[in-house]
Amino acid sequence: MSNPSITVVVPDKKLPGDLAMWFFILAELTVFAIFFIGFSVSEQLNAEMFSLGKAQLHQTAGLINTIALITSSFFVALALTKIHKAQAKQSVLLLLIAKAFAIIYISVKIWEYLSLFEQGITIETNTFFTLYFLITAFHLMHVLLGMVILSFIAHSAWQGKYQNNEFSGFEAGTSYWHMVDLLWIILFPLIYVI
Amino acid sequence: MQNNKAINMAAATKSWFLLITLSVIAIYLPAFVDNRSLTIIGALVIVVLKGQQIVDIFMELNNAPKLWRTLFLSYIILVPLIITIIYLV
Repeated sequence: MSNPSITVVVPDKKLPGDLAMWFFILAELTVFAIFFIGFSVSEQLNAEMFSLGKAQLHQTAGLINTIALITSSFFVALALTKIHKAQAKQSVLLLLIAKAFAIIYISVKIWEYLSLFEQGITIETNTFFTLYFLITAFHLMHVLLGMVILSFIAHSAWQGKYQNNEFSGFEAGTSYWHMVDLLWIILFPLIYVI
Repeated sequence: MQNNKAINMAAATKSWFLLITLSVIAIYLPAFVDNRSLTIIGALVIVVLKGQQIVDIFMELNNAPKLWRTLFLSYIILVPLIITIIYLV
């Protein structure tokens, strides 16, 4: 009696996008980790100043921005599933929706900055606001760069450049955008909640 | 293939609901928890849960080589852990 041979097909584990982009993302995450740890240490050294500073921030604005970035990331994830199904036009539409939510984030962030400036608060006010403006503005720059990348992949998708299982450029762009979201979910409780 | 993509969309939608719910819980945490240490731990546990969703579902690293998934999950666990230690020690 011989057993019939059984072939089990195990799908290949594949890293989405380009390897270079993942190293770039790791480098960015490391820089932000230093910022986050530096912020926490400074708060421990200046507890009262940080407590007063946090009380002057607009928590609801922080929550709106969190929802905007998470929703934007969600639409980017959906855009990726559409491009995998060769539905380029739908993918572009989803990327445009994702960018609309990113614009909400940018608008709220600018409104927050202007509100603080009106109260006479600037980057030089104290250590808390120096770190607040430095970290959030650095993150905002990444959001802006992410929007440029999303525009680029949307344009390429519209021109039909992602076909025949060649999605690495698209995947690299979406991975970068999710990194921006990943950073915000640490930044948000650190500055607005705890 | 078509079915797998449908599952991905469903997973992304579930993940989005979870991320939004956890964000709302996080912002109201100080109002419901009097103890600051517990608020810090709660908020940073929420960060880990949210980070896992983004890494595995949005970034699709649950289908990536183990090393890369481990690297990103380590980041999302280690950074909040270090922050917790700084605040609580």
